[in-house]
Amino acid sequence: MRSSYTCQKCLTFLRSGARPQLHCVRQAPAQQRWISLQNNQPTIIRASPQPALAKRFVSSTSRQEQNAAGESLQPRTPPGLEYTRMRGDPHRLLLQPDNLFHSFSNSPSPDIRRRAAFIKQHAYCPHPHHRQTRLPTTPDDPETKKSSAAGSPPAHVQYECPDCGIPVYCSEEHFADDYESHLEICDTLRQINEDDHDLRSGRFFPEFECPGPQLEEALVNMTNWDTFLYSREFAAINEDRSLRQATKLLTYPATIASVLHELSPYNIRKGGRLTVEGLKSLSALRYTLHPPRTGGGGDIKGLRLTPPAVRIFIVGARAESSLPREVWIQLAYLFPRVKFHLIFIGPESMANRDDEFPLPPRTPSNPFGAVVEDRISSELKISTYVEYYHTLHKAGHFYPYDPYFDCFMLFHPGLGHPASSHEWEETLPLLLETKVPILATGYTDWDMQRDLQWVQEKMAGEVDLLMEPGENKFRSLRWDLNDLDPQDISCGNWGLWAFRGKRYETTRQEE
Amino acid sequence: MPLLPRSTYYDKNYRQSPALIRARQPYLIKNVLTGAAIFAFTVGVYAFTIRAVSQDEFEDVIVPDKPIQPPHAPNAVGNKS
Repeated sequence: MRSSYTCQKCLTFLRSGARPQLHCVRQAPAQQRWISLQNNQPTIIRASPQPALAKRFVSSTSRQEQNAAGESLQPRTPPGLEYTRMRGDPHRLLLQPDNLFHSFSNSPSPDIRRRAAFIKQHAYCPHPHHRQTRLPTTPDDPETKKSSAAGSPPAHVQYECPDCGIPVYCSEEHFADDYESHLEICDTLRQINEDDHDLRSGRFFPEFECPGPQLEEALVNMTNWDTFLYSREFAAINEDRSLRQATKLLTYPATIASVLHELSPYNIRKGGRLTVEGLKSLSALRYTLHPPRTGGGGDIKGLRLTPPAVRIFIVGARAESSLPREVWIQLAYLFPRVKFHLIFIGPESMANRDDEFPLPPRTPSNPFGAVVEDRISSELKISTYVEYYHTLHKAGHFYPYDPYFDCFMLFHPGLGHPASSHEWEETLPLLLETKVPILATGYTDWDMQRDLQWVQEKMAGEVDLLMEPGENKFRSLRWDLNDLDPQDISCGNWGLWAFRGKRYETTRQEE
Repeated sequence: MPLLPRSTYYDKNYRQSPALIRARQPYLIKNVLTGAAIFAFTVGVYAFTIRAVSQDEFEDVIVPDKPIQPPHAPNAVGNKS
């Protein structure tokens, strides 16, 4: 009998007190099963919600990952009380695959009900009759239709659209009135609804299994997601929904790789979006990223001089730093024989990584208390600095910057966005001073154009454009909802562009 | 292992999965045209060869008439030994 190893008092306590715990575990069976099978936290969480101006911060899908991480740290349930986990058992699923659409307030998942309550408390009704609550940030912001003086006081959203299940208007009358503009996003909102429920449904997620390294000669085709996944030997992702879930994570390493790889879909032909300056910067990087064979091997005779690691500085990192390392190492697998050092820098770079606190102490060998993960693999090292980039730059911490080895990556930096541009003012000149390519992504075309204009203005034109702003071929296919404003839907890394500090070539003086 | 590892890009009846069809999509038209060109080349080679070795016209050659009596055939001696 298993329970003979447990004392009677403990058994009675566990049987009575553990019932809520068992209930809790039963409520989220798949998260734990998921963790035990795959040991990762598939989706990312945006930083905690900020006041309405900060439209970038989305409180997103995986509160459940926090739950699962918490559960995995709790002591294991005693053997007699463990329930058997059956993979794919339909009775354990919270939601069946054909039963994924539920209105947010009446959702079977408590997490989504909490989100619905949050939305109803914070989001405002976009009908033009209300007064403006904040300055409009984009031309198609519903706030532009509202007037700032006249109008009824702003009301929180209460009414849920029956087709998409998300609270979007304060009352049925306003919903009926503004129906045409709602129709534009209703389908996408419904898709978001179903995808969110799918993530919490407790099914097995084969799409989150990432493959290992592959033969160097088996080239990866980067024309689009499907060819990329096929040539990278991912398991076939046949369903659209699964593809959306998978690309939401993979967009981060795939975006970086799609620009830096020599087989990248961006070129200097017309429509290829790369400029000549871009080709120059990328050629320098590709020289390191695709090294010639040196005849090196595992023994003493195979000792060769190895170049330093390629450093990719992800500045303004938020939840990207919490992506599972299985996902980040896909970047290293795309470039065989190259070592990578990913450096996440930013005040919020430890978002959703609460179990890694407290940060290491600041010692002379680690003066900024960085979290260094060097045991991931021989090809990848990840460091996380909870600092502004300008502090580290002025301290000369990463000096010297080599355009053959270093690259900056800014994921949705919001350079020109009113809520975040003041934080970038000090960092931007220093980024451009390094003369190292800076890749940036954005939520929409307008977002990127605004960022580009802001950069040009701030630096008085001392900027070289490496890649013109446009749609990212490896964008996330899954749309995200902003809990503070359900009208604002975005997908990760929609657009991509690149710039660099202007380099001047020496010219001959006219005789 | 009980099953040989099978590619997930083909279903259990060995038909192409939607993922594979999507991955092949950018190359579909180019491949079909290349295939048509190769096929046309093969057909062309066959057509040319057959026409080249087909029978010639022999209308201008006068064939003498068959003689009335067959020439005296030598004794057909069988194999006696």
